[in-house]
Amino acid sequence: MPVWIDPEKCNGCYGAAQPPCLRMCPGDLIVKDAAENKAYLKYVNDCWDCLPCVKVCPEEAIEFHLSTQFGPKGARLIPHVEKANDKIVWELIDRAGVSETFTMKTKMIAVALDEKLEGESQPVDFSI
Amino acid sequence: MKIERKIIDTDILIIGGGTSGCMAAVEAKEKFPNLKVTILEKAHIDRSGCLAGGMNAINAYINKGETADSFTEYVKWDSCGLIREDLVKSMAELFEYSVKKVEKWGLPILSDDKGNYQARGRWNIKINGESLKPILAKAARSAGAQVYNWIVTTNLLTEGDRVVGAVGFSLRSNAFYVVRAKATIMATGGASRIYRPNNPGDAAYKTWYCPYNTGAGYAMGIRAGAEMTSFEMRYVALRTKDAIAPTGTIALGANAPQINSKGENFMATRYAHLGGDHAPTPFRTYGPLQEIKEGRGPVYLDTRGLTPEKVSNLKSAFLDMYPSQVLYWAANNIDISRTPVEVQATEPYIVGGHCQAGYWVDANRKTTLDGLYAAGDVSGGAPFKFVSGCWAEGVIAARAAGEYIVGAGSKPAHLVSEETILQEEERTYKFLRHEKIQYPISPVELEALMQKIMDQYAGGASTGFEMNEEMLLQARERISRLPEISQTLIASDTHQLMKAHEVVDRIDVAAVLVEHLLYRKETRWPSYQTRVDYPNKDDANFLLFVNSRRDRGSDKIEMFTRSK
Repeated sequence: MPVWIDPEKCNGCYGAAQPPCLRMCPGDLIVKDAAENKAYLKYVNDCWDCLPCVKVCPEEAIEFHLSTQFGPKGARLIPHVEKANDKIVWELIDRAGVSETFTMKTKMIAVALDEKLEGESQPVDFSI
Repeated sequence: MKIERKIIDTDILIIGGGTSGCMAAVEAKEKFPNLKVTILEKAHIDRSGCLAGGMNAINAYINKGETADSFTEYVKWDSCGLIREDLVKSMAELFEYSVKKVEKWGLPILSDDKGNYQARGRWNIKINGESLKPILAKAARSAGAQVYNWIVTTNLLTEGDRVVGAVGFSLRSNAFYVVRAKATIMATGGASRIYRPNNPGDAAYKTWYCPYNTGAGYAMGIRAGAEMTSFEMRYVALRTKDAIAPTGTIALGANAPQINSKGENFMATRYAHLGGDHAPTPFRTYGPLQEIKEGRGPVYLDTRGLTPEKVSNLKSAFLDMYPSQVLYWAANNIDISRTPVEVQATEPYIVGGHCQAGYWVDANRKTTLDGLYAAGDVSGGAPFKFVSGCWAEGVIAARAAGEYIVGAGSKPAHLVSEETILQEEERTYKFLRHEKIQYPISPVELEALMQKIMDQYAGGASTGFEMNEEMLLQARERISRLPEISQTLIASDTHQLMKAHEVVDRIDVAAVLVEHLLYRKETRWPSYQTRVDYPNKDDANFLLFVNSRRDRGSDKIEMFTRSK
């Protein structure tokens, strides 16, 4: 599973209907379990490994893992977003636990916790 | 399920809020502030499409000492003699304009101590482009474009040869969108996943080109009878093994040559006459493929001996664009200063931004259909666009679409007949069936069938990207059965409905692609288009564009050539 949302850390963005991770996924792969108030990656095989969901999560609840076809689990890559400084500090931890950091300049564009659909009514159930 | 119909009237409709679409929206609102500009976006505009993960360079830029003419000359050479010079030059003239705009919106561009942009190779400059997409999205919204997120556009609305808007469905509600537009700019991007991808299972979407770029823009044009060009110039990218990250970051950023398993710099020894490691791009994929075929693989980029600082710079560059590369090296205990970086070829993509598959357009990026413009990866004849060329084409298309509307006076949006709307609504939602289908097929199953055919008979990875007449005739025959099978697709929700339309679109693209591959009886771009039965370049007969047009009545694909 390339992206895993830790249910212990995910707080559902305080009841947001469309939390940031769900909106920022270009493949529409993340959904929210409204009853549990948790987001999860529904379509695990369709992930591009592009990471907007990981970077946008205000709780750092989303972990990025390689497919095991590409290597064993255990190494970690964690982007710590410093909104106020227009920076991302990437923490890379190899399988032996040795870490390295990379500080990258960026331009932060604010992302709201929730967003209404343009002129839309409520979602409906399409199940047959 | 009750469908709720939403009718939107607009002046300029932009289908796809990506690299080109966002820039087109800004340009249209700046030059024609009174025109209404509407974007239909399949995902959320902040992180949709090719730029979702970010970019670490602008790869088409006129650095000091170069001109739009020298760029055009280079691109013609890199594309083995065949490009639309008018298109390439006109976009090159707008690189500076576009890049400066995005820099003003906040994109960090790396500069030297004198304030000049840092070049990375002849046509490239370095950026910290992790947030390139949100920057563009904000600019489009701030300019006043109306953005509709999560709308999957399914077809163009036409009246004769004139495009009068488009229809689509919402992924988030029961709304069916009918957008009536005075001019439409197609900016959906190209097509990935036409061929079987490099990896199965949970890595099947780990493609280089955005896997959510499904060729919808091509397919809508094909169905509307627009003329297409050069689909046969597929893009088979040389990428790092497994991570499938761009190799330019390493080759240009660290001057790393390609070597085979014997340590030989085979591009320098075997392809010196073409420029060695700087040979035209298709040969930089063809060369390593030949090494592997002839038993001298694996093939690597030789990064051995890089200083710790250079290694760190490379990792940083990948974090801005392809973070998984950095995790891959850590997970596999790879120190690239001691171990060279293995490379591989990707499955073929159909893309007008690296190669030149797309709509046949005039200098204004107007397609052969009145009222329809095409910009970016979906637009043909102008390779080497990358990001800045897509911006430039967005600018050109927006200016032309605006002029077209202003020139036509204050005519109201075209009224679309109720009959047409009902037909399109039925076509859009038919896979969300309530009636029983005896042998239903899922989008995933049909996609796998299409990918298998294309992989094995139309020059996929399993045949070393090579093909001949007989294989292609098999591909034609087998792909021709798929539209009928697609009638039995079923979808259980709007996400699956999107997947169903994506495979329908890809099949339409694949059918046209096979005709293009059959028609070009030469090998112009080895690896992109290797015809083993016609192994040589044939300038006498094929220094021409191979074009196609699908008849709207019979669905027959007509093939022909154009010189320019």
